[in-house]
Amino acid sequence: MALQLGRAGFKVVVLEKGAHYKKDDFIHDEILNSRRNFFMPLPWDEPHLVRRGEKEKYQRTNTAWTANCVGGGTVHMSGYFYRLKPVDFRLRSQLGAIPGANIADWPIHYEDLAPYYDLAEEELGVSGAMVPHPFAEPRKKPYPLPPLKEHPIANEVDAACRALGYHPLPTARGIISEAYRGRAGCAYCALCGSYGCEVDAKSGTNSSLIPAAIATGNVEIRARCMARMIEVDTTGKAKSVVYLDADGVAQEQPAKVIVVSCTAVESARLLLNSSSSRFPRGLANNNGLVGRNLVFSSFGESRATFRLKKRGQSWPWLSDPAPFVQRSLQDFYLMPDNRHGFRKGGTLGFMFTHPNPIFASIRIAGAGKSGIFGKALKDRLREYRDSKILQFEIYGEFLPTAGTYVSVENGVKDKYGIPVAAITIDRHPIDLKMTRFLVERGEEVLTAMKPDSLERVGDAGETTILQHGTCRFGNDPASSVLDKNCRAHEVPNLYVVDGSFMPTSGGVPTTLTIAANSFRVAHALVDKMKRG
Amino acid sequence: MPRRQKANRISRRVFIQRLTFFGGGVVLIGAACKRDPKNDSTAPGKPDASAEHLTFSPEEYALVAAACDRVVPRDEDPGALDADVPVYIDRMLQTVEMRKVRLEFLAGAAALDRRSKRMFGKGFAEATPPQQDDLLGIFKDSPHGTGEAHWFELLMVLTMEGLLGDPSYGGNKDRVGWALVGFGTSEPPPNYSGSKHLHAHGGH
Repeated sequence: MALQLGRAGFKVVVLEKGAHYKKDDFIHDEILNSRRNFFMPLPWDEPHLVRRGEKEKYQRTNTAWTANCVGGGTVHMSGYFYRLKPVDFRLRSQLGAIPGANIADWPIHYEDLAPYYDLAEEELGVSGAMVPHPFAEPRKKPYPLPPLKEHPIANEVDAACRALGYHPLPTARGIISEAYRGRAGCAYCALCGSYGCEVDAKSGTNSSLIPAAIATGNVEIRARCMARMIEVDTTGKAKSVVYLDADGVAQEQPAKVIVVSCTAVESARLLLNSSSSRFPRGLANNNGLVGRNLVFSSFGESRATFRLKKRGQSWPWLSDPAPFVQRSLQDFYLMPDNRHGFRKGGTLGFMFTHPNPIFASIRIAGAGKSGIFGKALKDRLREYRDSKILQFEIYGEFLPTAGTYVSVENGVKDKYGIPVAAITIDRHPIDLKMTRFLVERGEEVLTAMKPDSLERVGDAGETTILQHGTCRFGNDPASSVLDKNCRAHEVPNLYVVDGSFMPTSGGVPTTLTIAANSFRVAHALVDKMKRG
Repeated sequence: MPRRQKANRISRRVFIQRLTFFGGGVVLIGAACKRDPKNDSTAPGKPDASAEHLTFSPEEYALVAAACDRVVPRDEDPGALDADVPVYIDRMLQTVEMRKVRLEFLAGAAALDRRSKRMFGKGFAEATPPQQDDLLGIFKDSPHGTGEAHWFELLMVLTMEGLLGDPSYGGNKDRVGWALVGFGTSEPPPNYSGSKHLHAHGGH
């Protein structure tokens, strides 16, 4: 958004609550990246309150925070860059009403977004291969970069899938496989998700769009500036952003147009905290929908362990350190009928487990009565050393329910003194049936590879860093917050361009979709501003 | 404000236990941090020049070393003591993020010692390895939410961080922890200090 506005000659100020890290700040240190507040705030400084259902008490957590820094979640993402499919834009008309689920068609079609998918893939840098596939979404151009190198186990995943009648496809990645636009290609270091990329090969906006935006000369990035509220003028237009600067001093930045993009949870929080006499329930919230219809992504996972010594003969390549498996299954994206209790499914992504050793070892040690220590623990750690662990993750539809939403809790404030976001989750039972079904299909594939052990990690979870829906877009101002160009129905110069606009989650990680949509919205906004 | 303290304790527990979507495991441990050390009324007195350790008294250090040694004992492969895990814990508990954890950890260690004296008539560090295992097992198996169970979790988490974390924090000496689990990915630059880096660049 900032890039396209800057290119068009408009002056843009970007306020970011976290730091502006450079690639040299990204270090292979698990304690720094994954276990302290380098990326995520501490939950007692800036909690997200979370509860399962309105009867439960809130807990202070860091759930649903993405990295607090310039580039946000794209800095420490794994970079699975799938597109949505045409059905994702038409869930209500394709599936009909689902009791207890507030699904809606999008006010745009896949074809409206497709050119911006092309553009986003080009600007960010995406590596992948187009393969013919019965469930493939239409695309006009090949990926800008060839696929990343794969571990030989990918061939075994393919064979196992095909033997079961499924159609494996290579996973496109927001990681550049070779030098691209002044950035170096991937070094295959294996510390990708949860880390920033020290060679700029990962296509986070911090490595791609933001440097390009700064280079236009029209975009200023102000790091460590925490937006507190958006002020409105007497006519109800957004006037300025009040924020705390790096020294904690309150500042006010006036603007002709204000674009909010803090993640679906935090954007809703900012709007809800921006109350005024004109908008007593929060900015653009006179219909009470800001924060409602929160959707994450349904999550499940299983792991297959292959012991290196045992497999040395048959699979001599197993110990190859290549980090990427790059395989997906989308055979269960949309089921032809309801015989398994759901129609809309999602994607299975196959990968090796993350190599972070502290995380892995604490998990192995367990806790409570089933926890182990001493010799038993050490033996398990040695087994881990002798293992290659292949897993799949589910990215499944997450049906919007009346009981899943973001609110603000005035009694609980963060270290800035701002009321925090409170998340209430009430899952739709269909999601759980669907996720379990997908996990079972993934386990069929893993079982066909004859692993030494198979473990189900979860089949009823949600990925809370993939977040959407809190300011859903639509044509009807009574049932949506934003119009089809992501402009607030109630505030003519206010836009929201993170995942908030999405009324349904889709069955893939949505990073690329959010980027593509912001290019689409930028195009419309630039047009409108040029026309005056 | 006891209620507030309890809420913070819960959030630390949530952290320690939570398995996250990122395989990388965004599972922080740490404590309420106001970044002004002057307000740190709980900070230990400045260690006197003769003191060997930053956080622990010699007796506490001996207890922590004995406990770490039972969690990851030396056998044909190096154990927690070979990795300097107690050095790591001693240093890490000085960081501002760990201020509240420091208090909880010291209180738990004292409770372990008391229990040892009650059961075996001697401090934990002097108990035999099987007696130490019994005591640690009691703490580990204590009901969820008790101070004992919480302390064992802290011990486990800090031991694993000290065994498998970046050597600049004082543990994982000669990378023996990484060798134990077969972690071979590239490591930080030579003069890197994790604690300094966090405080120079991070900290939300």
